[in-house]
Formats: sequence, structure tokens, C-alpha cells
Amino acid sequence: MKQRARDILGAGSGALLAAGLITVAAASIYLRTHNQGQKAMVQAPPVAYARALAQKAAATMDAPAALQAYVKRLSSNGQPVVLAAVIVDRDHPRFRFMRQRTYVAHSDPSREGQRLSPDSDGDKELYDLCSRVRLKGGRMDLFSPQGGPFSVRAAEPVMVDGKRLATAVVITEPRALQAPVPAWPLALGLLTCVAIGLAAGVARPRPRYAVIMVATLAYGWMAHGLIGDLASRYSEDLEAVGVHLADGLGQAEVPRAADALLAGIILEQPATWVVVAATLAGLALGLLGLLGIGRRMVTGLHTHRFAYAYITPAASGMLLLVFVPFAYGVLLGFFNHSHGTYTFVGLDNFIEILSGGDRPLSHPLNFYFTLGVTILWTASNIILHVSIGLALALLLKDPLLRFKGVYRVLLILPWAVPNYITALIWKGMFHQQYGAVNHLLSLIGIENISWFSSFSTAFIANLTTNVWLGFPFMMVVSLGALQSIPDDVYEAAAVDGASRWQSFVNITLPLLKPALFPAVILGTIWTFNQFNIIYLVSAGAPAGSTDILITEAYRWAFERADRYGLAAAYALIIFFILLVYTLVTNRLTRASEDSA
Amino acid sequence: MSKPKFSPRRFVVHLVLATFTGLTLLPVLLVLRKALTPGQEFELTLNPIPSAITLEHFANVIGRTGTGGVWLFGRQLLNSVIVSAGTTVVGVFLACTAAYALSRFRFPGRRTGLMSFLVVQMFPATLLMIPMYVLLGSLGLLNSMAGLVLVYSTTAIPFCVFMLKGYFDTIPRELEEAALIDGASRIKIFYAIILPLARPAIAVTALFSFMTAWNEYILAATFLNKETAYTLPVLLKAYVGEHGSTEWGSFAAGAILVSIPVVALFYALQRNLVAGLTAGGVKG
Repeated sequence: MKQRARDILGAGSGALLAAGLITVAAASIYLRTHNQGQKAMVQAPPVAYARALAQKAAATMDAPAALQAYVKRLSSNGQPVVLAAVIVDRDHPRFRFMRQRTYVAHSDPSREGQRLSPDSDGDKELYDLCSRVRLKGGRMDLFSPQGGPFSVRAAEPVMVDGKRLATAVVITEPRALQAPVPAWPLALGLLTCVAIGLAAGVARPRPRYAVIMVATLAYGWMAHGLIGDLASRYSEDLEAVGVHLADGLGQAEVPRAADALLAGIILEQPATWVVVAATLAGLALGLLGLLGIGRRMVTGLHTHRFAYAYITPAASGMLLLVFVPFAYGVLLGFFNHSHGTYTFVGLDNFIEILSGGDRPLSHPLNFYFTLGVTILWTASNIILHVSIGLALALLLKDPLLRFKGVYRVLLILPWAVPNYITALIWKGMFHQQYGAVNHLLSLIGIENISWFSSFSTAFIANLTTNVWLGFPFMMVVSLGALQSIPDDVYEAAAVDGASRWQSFVNITLPLLKPALFPAVILGTIWTFNQFNIIYLVSAGAPAGSTDILITEAYRWAFERADRYGLAAAYALIIFFILLVYTLVTNRLTRASEDSA
Repeated sequence: MSKPKFSPRRFVVHLVLATFTGLTLLPVLLVLRKALTPGQEFELTLNPIPSAITLEHFANVIGRTGTGGVWLFGRQLLNSVIVSAGTTVVGVFLACTAAYALSRFRFPGRRTGLMSFLVVQMFPATLLMIPMYVLLGSLGLLNSMAGLVLVYSTTAIPFCVFMLKGYFDTIPRELEEAALIDGASRIKIFYAIILPLARPAIAVTALFSFMTAWNEYILAATFLNKETAYTLPVLLKAYVGEHGSTEWGSFAAGAILVSIPVVALFYALQRNLVAGLTAGGVKG
């Protein structure tokens, strides 16, 4: 009876915790989608800033103090909005005394009046840029591929009487405007957590309640982060809307619109109250749940202390070095990385991958193409591994066979050789001119195949390498499993007149199944993620067509514009494919065992 | 055992096995030939017999020194040995305790634990690299052997736990119950009864942990950036250039030097391999 009550309590608290977390998440999603529509309308905010700045500069060029004040306001209206600068042209008659390009205004006051030196890294970029901005229609959308100390986002010529006088540049992405975010829900949430945690600790001064206290505080801290995140996102959106406003008012109106923005236009706030209330409710629910779970965990920990003592070392190691990086990877999948900054993009990475990224199905970078190649790769490998391994094991099983030990020892060799060495050796063997494979084929009249210039041959090269590498594992597993089948079963079958084939199909295969299935599952997982062979043998040639998902993901992260977010999303998709595969095969094997 | 008579069937079996063994050994023989033939050029043609024999490649690889006359090969060999031995000890210890708990105790979280050890292998390790790099960096473990030992043993653990758990499951519980009645402690039962009985599986676990550490290249190349901290596989990187500049002779010699210990160990433990694998991991 008591046990039952405890179970109910446990389930109840779990449900409460889940409900709490879900509410908080829902609140977050609500806020995002609510603002998404507004964000979509905004186009190229840096350009709007640059245009506004250029207009202002054209009007106030004769009064540098006013311009400097404007730039300062633009960039430091309480908080930094944008880093901007106006750079006067060299040799312009009005500024003849300046022999170099000079900042007449800069959001960092210490740089005002400073010269741009084409020799210094950061300045060179600006220097070249100012030379490139043309007299006529010189608006430029810019970029800084290498991301120096700062990135130039947009530039506009400052035109006075039809002549270019200077260049207005926006140096970094406009940063978040600190909108009037209500601070009290934050403080209240945190205080509630602290209060409940302390109360638990004080009311029942027993060690186990310390655990609850710590857990509660941790949860509070997490919630604090979450609300803070909501707040900053809100303010980002607010800012974007303001810029949109500036952009939409037309060029003549821009300075005023920008001024209005800086003065703090009161935009209609999204239904913040709903979100705050939902978040608080979620937090409260979560806390209740956590208390219940904490209590249950403490009793559980005590009864099973031996078991936990044994598993803790391994578990904590895994937690630190596998699950934490894993969680980091999962989070990364929802962000976009560009020049060292990460922006939350929701499901965009996944959508980009799963929609094929606007590429035709036959394009090697299309997800489904790569997926097809990966499945083909995995299936052909596993089939060859198992059939070769099993065939060899059957040959080696004969107890009267001579040199059995020698064969076995030699056949295991590929397994023992480090696989990146294997890969490099085979890459050499498939060399068109000097490779042993072409040499061998020329003996039977096939001349000079260029292995890595067509999909099928490159695929075969990869496959050969991996088959060489992988069959020994299956052979050893099959050997072990075969040894465990007693001989008298075969004898009985032979007495009953079964042929060799019949006894293979009806005795050997069914008895091998329990040993082979897990090996096949593991083998599939390994082959699906077999990075070294693909990366080192064909290296995706030709044109990335032999890349599998894992190498594709690696290339997005390390070879194509550091798209860590997209790579992480790929990794997550790989993970889910394998997870589903394992669950399905597990269920199938269990079902087949049950029916047997 | 009496000498079996000649039979055509057995002859065919031998023929098939010999051909297959030959094909399997071919790449290895070619590398051996390259390592013994003078010159660095690329020539992995079919004939496995060297035209002239030289040990210069081995001498080159072994005698390699770095800036300041540090004997690089010796240093990197030492690194590799320490890292691999460390990984083996840590990995086997962690895997044994975890597998024992999973095999013998019923506790909340057991199924989840078992599942997660399997699931972990599905997350592409190459992509754990970035977070791991950040993590090790913040722990101050980049460029250190301790960092590598930690990373390698955690990568080796899931498979080892699976294998050991399966093997422990085959050891009858009655032994422990008897010992418990005789007043032995849990810990004593673990190291005096279970561990000795599980020797084949532990040998395989040790072998895998060792191989994981000894053969690993990408993580080592990422986490280490000092020549004196490199492990042997990273040494091989020096001989494989980006485009065609590979010093194949030295690479072949290096590949052989790196592979020998692990191949030797593999053969020393290969009897256990069959027993450990089939009784253990593969039963799931």
C-alpha cells in the first residue's frame, strides 16, 4: 500500500515537473512566433543605419561637433545600438588639411580624428572600402568574410552638392537595444525558488533536504536564464521593428525615423503579461514536481546505494565527456554560426537540411542524395561483412582443417591495423598510375581505371577498403557463435537425412541469429558513422557524391564557412535515424524471438 | 588427432582460404615492401618483393628529432604508451564497475543506463569534437595526457560495458550468494570472485581500450598542438602531405612501427577475443 502511494507520488511529481517545463518552453515559443512576423518584414537593418547616418552627415558636415554627437547617440543611447563611423575622404577640398582618411566621427570617442592606416589589419578593410564606394549610387551591402576585429556591414557615400565628401559606415551588426523589459518577474521567480529551497532546508534540517534545496536553486537559476533570454529576444525584436520603421519611411525621412527610434519609440508590446504569467505558473508547477521527485530520488539513492556507488564513476565520466558535449551539440543545432557569433534560428537548420536546401535531388549536397548514398554504403558493407565473415567462419569451423590457427590469425590482421592507416594505404592502392589495384586489373586485361573520377568506382574503392577492414569482426563473432552450437544437433539432423544446406538453413542460421543480430546492429551504427574511410579514401570525390552524412556534416563544420549549427543539426538527424533503426530492429528481434 | 586424409573438398577449402588470406595480406605486404625499399616515391605496385633492401626509412622515423634536438620519436612513443596504458586502466576500471552494477543490481535508472550506453555510440563522435575541445580547454586539459586519457576512456566505455555486462550475466549468481552467506563483503566478492572469472572478457575490454587510445588520430591531432605532446599516430601525419608530397617510404615505416604493438597485443589476446566477444557483448 505504501509502495503504491509512493508510486503515485512519484508519477505525479514527474508529471508536474514535465508540465512546468513544458509551460516555460511554450511561453518561450509563443514569444518567438509572435515576433517572427514582424521580424520577417525587416530588411537589411545595417543599410538603413548607414543611410540614416550618411544623410545626417551630409547635413552636418560643416559642424563636426553635431555629427559627432549624432554618432555617439546612434551608438550609445544609453546602450550600444550600433558601431558607426563617418570617414572623410582624402584630398577633399574642404578637408585639404587631412592627408589621410580620418574618422570625423566614431562611436568610440577615442578613435575620433584618428587616421586609417592601410597597413593595419582592421583599418585596411575600411580603407579599401572607402575607396570602393563609388560617387554614384554608392550604397553597398557589405560583409567581412574573415571577420577582423570588427565587421563592416554597410556603407553609404556622404553626398554634398552631388559630390562625395565622406563615407558613412556601419561597422558591426546593430546590437540589441535594451528594451524596457520588466525586471520583476525575473526577480520574483528567483526569489520564490530561493524561498522554497531555504524553507525546505530550514524546516527539515536533514541532509536529504539539502539535496532538494540545491536542486531547487539550480532550477531557479535555470529559469532565471530562461526568462533573461526571453527578455533579450524581446528587445532584439523591438529594435528590428524600429529599424524596419526607419527603412519603410523612405530615404528623406530616415534621419528622423532613426532619431525617433533612438529617442525610444514606444512600440506596442507583445502580450508580455501572458508570457510572464505562463512562465511563473510553469515555474511553480515545476517546483512542486521537483520537490516530489527529489524526495523520491533521495530514498531511492539510499536503498540502492551499492549499485549507484558502482556505476557512478563511469556515469559521471560519461556525463561530463559525452552527454554534456551531446547536449551542447543539440543546442547548437538550433543556432546559426557566422563569424564567431551565434544566433538562435529555431528549426531553420533542420528545415534547410530536410528540404534539400533548394538543390535538385541529384545534387550531391542534397540531404536525400547523401542519405541514399549512406544507406547504400551501410547496407552493402553489412551484407558483405556478414556474408564474408560467416563464410570464412564456416570454413574455419572444421575441426580437422589444418593450419586453421594460421588462417585465423592472418585473417584477423585488418582488424588490428589502425583504420586511418588502412585508409591511407588503400588510397595509395587505388592510385591511377602507381596503384596496386590497377596493376592487378591490368593482368586480367582491364586498363587504367581512374578510380576517383566517377561515383561508382569511387564508391567501390571505399567499399573495398571498408570490407577489408570490417569482415574480421563478423568472422570472429560468427566463429564464437558457431562454436556454441553443439555438434549433436547436426548429427541428429544428419541421421534424419538432412542435407548440408538444409541443416545450414534450419539449424545454423536460426541458432546464429541471437549472436549475429546485436553484432549487425553495432556494425550498422559503426558503418553509418564510418568517417575515416570516406574522408581519407575517396574524400567525397567526385564532387562530394560519395560523401556520407557524417562526412557531409564534418565538411559543413570545418570546410564550408564554419556552419557549426548546420553540422550539429546533421549530427542530430544522424542520431535520430540510428535511434529509430535500433528501436525498430530491437522490436523486430524481440518479436521474432517471442513468436519462435 | 590423426592426420586427416587428402580430400578434394578440403583442397577446395584450402584454396579458398589461401586466396582470401593472400588478398587480405597483400596491402600489408606492399606496405612492408615500401618500408624496406629505398626512395620516398609513390609506388604501391603489385610485386611484394623489394628490389633493394634498406632500413633507412625506419632509421629516419625512429631517429626523428625536433627543435632543440628533442628525440621526437622517443617522446611520442612514451606519450602513446602512457596515454594508452592510462586509458586501459581507467577504461577497464570504469567499465567493470559499471557493468557489474548493471548486471547484478536492479535499481531505478538501470534500463535507462543500459540504453544510454548503446545510444551513445550513435552520436557521431567527430561532431562531439567541438564541444569536447571547448570543455577540455576550460578544464585546462588541452595538450595534456590526462585530457586524452579521459576522452579515450569515455569513448571506449560504452562498448566495453556492453561486452562485460553480457559476460557477467553468464556467471552464476549462486557463487556470490554463497560468498555473501559466508560473510564476504560486496567489494570482496567483486574483486575476488567476479573479476577472476571474467578474465577473458576483461582481456578483450583491455584490448579495446588500448586500441582505442593507441590508434586514435583525429582527436589527438585536434587536442594536441605541441610536437612533444603528440602521440604516435599524429607523427604519421608529418609524412602524409596534402597533395602528392607524401613521403611514402617514411609513412610505410611509421605505419608498421605504429601497428606492431597493437597487432602483437591483438594476437596475444586473440583466444580471449572469441570467448569474450561471444559470451559478452554480442548477446546484448
